[in-house]
Amino acid sequence: MIKHVVAALAFGAIAGYLNNNWGNAVAGNFVSDYLFNASLVLLLFIMGLSFGFDRKSMAKLRKTGFKVLIFPFAVALGSILGGFVSGLVLHINIIASMAVCAGYGWYTVTGPLIIQIFGAELGALGFTVNFIRELLTIITISLMVKFDKYIPIAFGGASTMDTTLPIIVHYCGSDTLITAFSSGFVLTITAPFTIIAIATLK
Amino acid sequence: MLVFIVPLLAGILLGYFLRARKRIGLSGVTFWAIIILMCSLGFSIGSNNELLNSMPRVGLNAIIIALIAMLFSVFFVKVARKMVKVE
Repeated sequence: MIKHVVAALAFGAIAGYLNNNWGNAVAGNFVSDYLFNASLVLLLFIMGLSFGFDRKSMAKLRKTGFKVLIFPFAVALGSILGGFVSGLVLHINIIASMAVCAGYGWYTVTGPLIIQIFGAELGALGFTVNFIRELLTIITISLMVKFDKYIPIAFGGASTMDTTLPIIVHYCGSDTLITAFSSGFVLTITAPFTIIAIATLK
Repeated sequence: MLVFIVPLLAGILLGYFLRARKRIGLSGVTFWAIIILMCSLGFSIGSNNELLNSMPRVGLNAIIIALIAMLFSVFFVKVARKMVKVE
């Protein structure tokens, strides 16, 4: 499974690059918006179905309830503290590295936002750090699930409500669906606010 | 956001009410939908010139920051799960 996923990612990236730089054969947003959303909506429906089918998953959801919200909170705290520590270690602007990490893997929003607040140099970091986080979540998933099925959810950050969700559910099981989705959902909503809040410290 | 929540909830509800029925195999559809999703994710990465230009400029630093943030996230999730006793 993961080999096919990585191959598909690489193929898509090359196709996207060629299309964007040598004569737009396909309208870029047709693929990245329309095709992306259509496949994701279909996947969400199918994942929901198998979750509803599964008695154990439903029972577990009832038992856990609102406690699932501890996940995004822990991921946010861990990411921002990670930004603080890496700023210290690498001798870069600590406020900026905290803000960059508060994107929780959502590079399309974090990149432009960091450019606006901290300028192009640190904005490049905002793009790359969050892109790498998303990429590493996907690539390491089959290995990490052997240690603990919640590692990919912590790794994925904001991406666990869309891009990495189907792969997480495939490897970690149907019962992680709500935990992963709600964690990604909360982090996606809070990312822009935490970035701006951290930026006010500068 | 609603675009994502509606199909998810619709799936869960439908699955819950149909849980006693015979299942249909969806793994083939799931597989191809994931492949299409990953292709289009790759496509938007490949078409994002800002991202592609950023990567070589920050390279190693970005990898280190991402790894540290991810490790701290895992650590905090572990601690949080122990604290509230979520399986």
